[in-house]
Amino acid sequence: MSDQTTETYESFSEEIPADLVKLQTKNLDFFYNKSKALHNVNIQFQNQSVTALIGPSGCGKSTLLRALNRIYALYPGQRAEGEILLDGENVLDRAQDLSLLRARVGMVFQQPTPFPMSIYDNVAFGVRLYENLSKPDMDVRVEQSLRRSALWDEVKDKIHSSGLGLSGGQQQRLCVARTIAVRPEVILLDEPASALDPISTAKLEETIVELKRDYTIVIVTHNLQQAARISDHAAFMYLGRLIEFASTARLFDNPRAQRTADYITGRFG
Amino acid sequence: MALLDRRSRRSYANTAFITFCTIAAGIAISALAAILISLLVQGVGGIDLDVFTKETPGAGGHGGLGNAIIGSIELCFVAMVGAVFVGLFAGTWLAEYGGNSHYANTIRFLNDVLLSAPSILIGLFVYEIAVAPMHGFSGLAGAAALALIAAPVITRTTEDVLKLQAKQLRESGVALGAPFWITVRSILWRAATGGILTGALLAFARISGETAPLLFTSFGNQFNEFSMLKPIASLPQSIFQFALSADDNWKRLAWVGSLLISFAVLTINIIVRVLSTGQKR
Repeated sequence: MSDQTTETYESFSEEIPADLVKLQTKNLDFFYNKSKALHNVNIQFQNQSVTALIGPSGCGKSTLLRALNRIYALYPGQRAEGEILLDGENVLDRAQDLSLLRARVGMVFQQPTPFPMSIYDNVAFGVRLYENLSKPDMDVRVEQSLRRSALWDEVKDKIHSSGLGLSGGQQQRLCVARTIAVRPEVILLDEPASALDPISTAKLEETIVELKRDYTIVIVTHNLQQAARISDHAAFMYLGRLIEFASTARLFDNPRAQRTADYITGRFG
Repeated sequence: MALLDRRSRRSYANTAFITFCTIAAGIAISALAAILISLLVQGVGGIDLDVFTKETPGAGGHGGLGNAIIGSIELCFVAMVGAVFVGLFAGTWLAEYGGNSHYANTIRFLNDVLLSAPSILIGLFVYEIAVAPMHGFSGLAGAAALALIAAPVITRTTEDVLKLQAKQLRESGVALGAPFWITVRSILWRAATGGILTGALLAFARISGETAPLLFTSFGNQFNEFSMLKPIASLPQSIFQFALSADDNWKRLAWVGSLLISFAVLTINIIVRVLSTGQKR
């Protein structure tokens, strides 16, 4: 990441009405030890909508995503500076309970990572941490979560067999089910379809679009068509900077920054 | 021509290499087979009910290995409980919390030293700190010596198998709002069960035949002794005592004892393997 560059970065951002903003960053910098990976990022994520983060490899989109639930805090040497406001509260605050934050801001990873336990227990795992549900209530929660992630019909007869026995696409939808079972407010998806075949990808995309009725969704994707298909807003990042943030239609049809235009027309990246 | 030469030379080298590997494997396997066969030939004939029910005989007398079997089970069981407890947590700390700190690296180094320490040294150490001051040999001292041998093995394998688990597995546990220690306990340990069990099994196999550290800790006992605070008999120590004698009956019991240890290790090996594969499916 070229830190000392003297280049200037033009930057365009649309404002979202304050009452619709669920999550936003203010002057966010991010460091991997001494190297700076995010430069003064200001972005807003609208409630009940999908925001796609796009940009070439190494542009900082995953870094931004991993800052939002502070998953980076697992690794000494990684730190964020600035503000990340969830419902107006700064989650970078030292006093923030990280487990509680992550229960509110769920995350699905690039590689499906089912836990070595039954499908049922995979989904119930997170719920058990925060809620003391009776067996029937838990059954209902598990079924609901699997239905919403469009996996129920495929697994309802083997719900107590291991989650490791599912196909890659099913495993990824299991990870989505596991995440929504906790009833988070925000869901972060880090290239969730990159390890999936086209049919599984289509199913996952349907799931994401369906989920935005209840959740604020942020998705990192390398696939521009995917971003265009499922997102309401899109953010183009480059070298750790937010170059352009706009409604997806605007960003793809009529980008204002030259770099955005170059990237979405395939001239680089 | 030169090309052909080189080709045929390579092909000879290839054949020679494979032959060498095959012979080496053959030597290793035939040594193992020879041990097993002599164990079976010499041991099976000596097995009768008395072996399990009677106490070890005096010279010339008739008897069995009952007290040694019970003693060995007690010693190994207590040692393994202690070693698994210490090893599991120590290995987890090294893999998940210690990182590359000086402290962790020191512990890692000391553990490796302990891993390769001669077992008689460990026996001597336990004798110095536990037997001599208390003025008496005891089963507990023997179990402590065995635990000191087993714990480093379990620590090491636990650390290794935990480090093999995907980074994403940790992250996805934490991302659900699970505190890190719950992620370790409920997800990582479970994912690593097979490896941790294998480590425990290796440790068990190692201590089940250890003789040297028992000689001056649990000492031995000609009679049944259930209290871990008294000297107790053990199979390896009885084998050691009997195999060196001229008494045919004692020699027979030494073979039977060896067979029993091998059989016990094999059985536990199979059980653990069946259990750990059964759990994954």
